[in-house]
Amino acid sequence: MQFDLSDEQQMFRQAVREFAAKEIAPNARHIDETGEFPTETFRKMGELGLMGIPFPEEYGGAGGDTVSAAVAIEEVARACGSTALAYAAHMGLGSAPIFMFGTEEQKQRFLKPAAAGKYIAAFGLTEPHAGSDAGATRTTARLEGNEWVLNGAKMWITNAPIAGHIIFTAVTDASKGKNGISAIIVPGGTPGLSFGKHEPKMGLRGSVSTAIMLEDVRVPRENLLGDPGRGFNQFLKVLDGGRIGIGAMAIGLAQAAFEAASAYAKDRTAFGKPIGAFESISNMIADMATGIAAARLMIYQAAWLKDQGRPFSQQAAMAKLFASEVAEKTCRDAIQVFGGYGYSQEYPVERLYRDQRLLTIGEGTSEILRVVIGRHILGGFVGN
Amino acid sequence: MHIVVCMKQVPRDNSVKINNDLSINAEGIEQIMNLFDEYAMEEALQWNEKLGGKVTVLSLGPDEWKEQIRRALAMGATDALLLNDPSYANLDVLGAAKVVADAIKKLGDVDLVLAGRNSTDDESGAFGPALARALGWPQLTYVGKFLEVNDGAKKMVVERHLEEQVETVETSLPAVATVVKDINEPRYPSLLRIKKVAKVEIPTWGAADVGAASSAASVAGRVPPPPRPKGEIVDGADAAEKVRKLVDKLMENQVI
Ligand SMILES: Cc1cc2nc3c(=O)[nH]c(=O)nc-3n(C[C@H](O)[C@H](O)[C@H](O)COP(=O)(O)OP(=O)(O)OC[C@H]3O[C@@H](n4cnc5c(N)ncnc54)[C@H](O)[C@@H]3O)c2cc1C
Repeated sequence: MQFDLSDEQQMFRQAVREFAAKEIAPNARHIDETGEFPTETFRKMGELGLMGIPFPEEYGGAGGDTVSAAVAIEEVARACGSTALAYAAHMGLGSAPIFMFGTEEQKQRFLKPAAAGKYIAAFGLTEPHAGSDAGATRTTARLEGNEWVLNGAKMWITNAPIAGHIIFTAVTDASKGKNGISAIIVPGGTPGLSFGKHEPKMGLRGSVSTAIMLEDVRVPRENLLGDPGRGFNQFLKVLDGGRIGIGAMAIGLAQAAFEAASAYAKDRTAFGKPIGAFESISNMIADMATGIAAARLMIYQAAWLKDQGRPFSQQAAMAKLFASEVAEKTCRDAIQVFGGYGYSQEYPVERLYRDQRLLTIGEGTSEILRVVIGRHILGGFVGN
Repeated sequence: MHIVVCMKQVPRDNSVKINNDLSINAEGIEQIMNLFDEYAMEEALQWNEKLGGKVTVLSLGPDEWKEQIRRALAMGATDALLLNDPSYANLDVLGAAKVVADAIKKLGDVDLVLAGRNSTDDESGAFGPALARALGWPQLTYVGKFLEVNDGAKKMVVERHLEEQVETVETSLPAVATVVKDINEPRYPSLLRIKKVAKVEIPTWGAADVGAASSAASVAGRVPPPPRPKGEIVDGADAAEKVRKLVDKLMENQVI
């Protein structure tokens, strides 16, 4: 048994933490308030090698592992949730599928620039009428000569209007049900793509998630990603990995709330003593620390399993479920520790609370994750 | 061009707590690269990008310092050297400078040595000058700008940023220069390099490898300065009375 990060993973953490403290955290409140996308931050993240941590160097990555990528997302989230969502979606959803299923040519054309941070990537699965029920995808792609022609609509796609490429899921063979869904890579700016407004959101307001309209969007035949008709299975695998990223984001947000609450509990006095001296307060702090420690172990273990090439789907689902719920409780309690000031935008905890709220919804709601876990344990009849 | 950067690993300000018995509380101390050395490192890397050659990060310290040596390698240093020997444990500044000078002589091909103007823990500011003296090379302290570093002509022109003036100095190389804050914007360690440097062996020389030097003085002990005495607020009905009372007090204590 070995619980320490390796020297390399520790160096990754230190480097990202340092960068995040100086370049990301100071901007967090501003991008939350204005909804401005932190383009300059992402340019610098690219230069440093942050945008493609788990991908090999020949594809523009930093040659790190899944644990390092999780640690990096955690550290970015500790500084700014909006930046972390855009980052996690770019790496785990927009880039990873090409590494997992792409041809050599696709890796050179799409993974390389994304991993090197030349552009940011996106993944379009969710539709207005198909979220948890992704098999109900209505977007279609039909082959015309040597081109795929896509039509339909997507919803809630993170990074969509700024993405260098978007991976879309679309029905290529309606007769086959779920097995007729494929994934197709569409470069940003392809005619026929249009985007909805920057969706006004409760939190993570510095990241952009929009609707996408696809009207006769044409891409070359070779932009099909992976096996035709295997799109559904492929994105389930993609989501397994993405969940590690969302869970890591949850730990980072929870860690930030915990640190703020601990400092405040020592500093703020009431009835002549620091409020941390009241057990109701110190109990909340103790529960936060306990929850975060457990969630972190679960996330790192899921990441480690993935790095070992072992099955990790159940662990990733459990870890994301647990970490997102720990983050919700931790950020809620952090506001409680701050009292009235916690409700004020002058302190970061209200933002952390709003930011974390997505995490029990995106990349599998808590309800769906329980179905996934239940199926692993009891069998495929769960939920059917 | 071979540039050596002398780098010290120091505790981050405010991360050090003193125990009741005056010993240092090791828990929670965060180790970082000395602030001024980071500027020296960046300067070396920038000149290396222009002139080519080597940038060696050199430290005299315990094994734990490899952490910041690796950080320097991840920033872009091409070579590293740690000087570590039990006999170095309590060296004072002069002693350390002599050992480092011997190591630099042994490296042989060094054109320029950069260091920070001082370390943020000991703050003596004496290391650079002592090193230059031990090497017998010109010393340029408080450098705020390198105007020219000429490998071929073996000369260098720098600005020394002094309290009341900026002095432009030309010197022959090899030389030792110490740099001030904000001379450049130090880069972050590159994640792309971390993979390469996380596991590399850091070349380490003990006293036998370095050769000769010995130090006359060593540091016998360290205690924090006594706490500042409590202040006193001078009270009075109006400003005139307060001033009168204050002047009385100052005269009483023979301040004026
Ligand atoms: C900020 C943000 C960013 C996003 N980014 C992306 C992105 O980049 N790419 C992308 O493809 N998608 C993205 N999404 C979409 C996200 O993944 C979906 O919102 C999520 O999967 C839930 O789908 P839905 O919103 O349609 O909710 P629904 O599926 O309609 O769910 C509504 C409720 O019903 C419950 N429910 C549904 N089915 C079941 C069931 N079988 N058993 C029990 N309960 C059930 C759900 O748990 C939930 O509580 C994003 C969403 C947000 C808010």
